[in-house]
Amino acid sequence: MLSPKKSKYRKAQKGRIHGLAKGGTALNFGAYGLKSLEAGRVTARQIEAARRAITRHIKRAGRVWIRIFPDVPVTKKPAEVRMGSGKGSPEFWICRVKPGRILFELEGVTAEVAREAFLLGAAKLPVGTRFVSRAGEEVAA
Amino acid sequence: MPEIIALSALPRARVGKGAARATRREGRVPAIIYGGNDAPFLISLEPRELKRALARPGFFATLLEVAIDGVRHRVLPREVQLHPVSDAPLHVDFLRVLPESRVRVQVPVSFINHDRSPGLHRGGILNVVRHEIELDAPVEAIPDRIVVDLSGLEIGDSVHISAVALPPGSRPTIRERDFTVASIAASSAVREEAAAAAAAPPPAPEPEAAPSAA
Repeated sequence: MLSPKKSKYRKAQKGRIHGLAKGGTALNFGAYGLKSLEAGRVTARQIEAARRAITRHIKRAGRVWIRIFPDVPVTKKPAEVRMGSGKGSPEFWICRVKPGRILFELEGVTAEVAREAFLLGAAKLPVGTRFVSRAGEEVAA
Repeated sequence: MPEIIALSALPRARVGKGAARATRREGRVPAIIYGGNDAPFLISLEPRELKRALARPGFFATLLEVAIDGVRHRVLPREVQLHPVSDAPLHVDFLRVLPESRVRVQVPVSFINHDRSPGLHRGGILNVVRHEIELDAPVEAIPDRIVVDLSGLEIGDSVHISAVALPPGSRPTIRERDFTVASIAASSAVREEAAAAAAAPPPAPEPEAAPSAA
């Protein structure tokens, strides 16, 4: 699973996700991509599950790029603990995703395989997504 | 000579984001034509025509003829701002081109003869390092694409710009180094197979015949 090697602060505030993605909205590496249509918090576990679903469908033939990174720690209090006594301990890492953000990119497979792989991968994610491709790429593949 | 796409446009009067938003509310896409020793010219485009042109590969290397009130302007698209979610065009910049001038354009790279590459045949992946190459080309001879032949390429081989045939008159803007356009990389399946073959113990020698008991 993806996680930072080190972090400046152990705990982060929850925050809110406003607006649309400012960067990372276009394909940079592959011919096909999965674009987020909603705002949401994607956990490292969900990213890994989606990556596995995608790579298994393409039978490790193509190449996959993950364009998001979970760098926000989320804390949790233990079960059956009364409120107060400070913030809980970090439990997992998330990535705040805004609408328009490219989540994954894919290269080396046909458009149909990429579309099906992303459909399987998107089922593991908490945000609505859309399949995108470079101009003219789908026709050529 | 590449194909020239015709677009129809209407002039618009005001600059600024308020005027641009008003144009979008009318269902049109604001755009500007600049360069070529003339004053910038504000226009608006029909979105469906523009989307059709944008869907073609190599839009930024395609000459366009924008007709405004019967006057034709020969232009080259320089920038398209897209909506982050819907990818609908929000604004387009066009550079007015003069005949016999040279321009820097991003030309798309297309690959041929995938089936003649032994590396791809053995399960390698075509790793495209540059989907587009910036060329310095004469306006009248902008290539619509750069063709890279993959014949004979093995896993681990790379195609550099020096090995790519460019149309006459065109040259890459990066000239100080022989940059990579694409390479054939081993897929994870091929890498695992190779690792397994390397880790497997060597075949045991044939056992010698046991000496017969005398």
